[in-house]
Amino acid sequence: MNSKKATWILGIAAIVVAGFILMAGTKGSQAASAQDNAPKTVEIKIDNFSFGPMTLKVAAGTTVTWINNDDVPHTVVSDNTKTFKSKALDTGDKFSYTFTKPGKYPYFCSVHPKMMAEILVQ
Amino acid sequence: MHPFDLKTAMLARHAQHVVLIHFPIALFTAAVAFDYLAEWRKDQTLAAVAYFNLLLATVFTVPVVATGLVAWQLALEGQKLKGILLMHLVLGCISSVLIWFVFWIHSRVRRHPEESLPKYRLPIEAVAALLVGLTGHLGGFLSGVNGPG
Repeated sequence: MNSKKATWILGIAAIVVAGFILMAGTKGSQAASAQDNAPKTVEIKIDNFSFGPMTLKVAAGTTVTWINNDDVPHTVVSDNTKTFKSKALDTGDKFSYTFTKPGKYPYFCSVHPKMMAEILVQ
Repeated sequence: MHPFDLKTAMLARHAQHVVLIHFPIALFTAAVAFDYLAEWRKDQTLAAVAYFNLLLATVFTVPVVATGLVAWQLALEGQKLKGILLMHLVLGCISSVLIWFVFWIHSRVRRHPEESLPKYRLPIEAVAALLVGLTGHLGGFLSGVNGPG
């Protein structure tokens, strides 16, 4: 085998190896990126006639789930009564809403209007 | 929120029901107590007191039932009720019908003084008072009167 041919083979081999390394790297970062962009879920507990936590900061795209741990029915209604509105949640019932846009989302329980809280979407 | 803010009070979505309900509960309970006393003491004055308490209790059931139904429509948008809410609604309606029935018995006799009040009204009044108490208990539980704040 002459040296020119060997150089070519080595060059092609180097390109193939570099390609594999590059692809593997890309796949890894894609997986990491997918993990970062995975939809997040945060839970708010309704207990003792209050929402906990009363103020929650989440990133856009986060799904917030309210769970009623109280003995009495509650609702989860945004202050403008349009953005989100649950039915009456009995003990153990859940309601979820995904916040896609940044902003401040105050809400309350329509059965007990003194129960107020807010979601801050960043 | 100002305690004398009329707009807030009038537009509150279910506050009127919670406020008004105390009147028929108190009036009907008093009416039943006076009627039992009147029966026991054979006292026409006590019977008259019972009648007028019952009259006012009956009148107050109308706005109470109306505001309760409005609260259901506004706060819960008329959704199908279940659990305590449904029980409260059903017991409230039965209580109201019993109050109206007891009042009808009394008012019929009042229009015909030659007749005397039937004895069977007493157990009906007792059952009605019991149901009123039970409905009120569930209502208090729902309103969170025992809750914080």
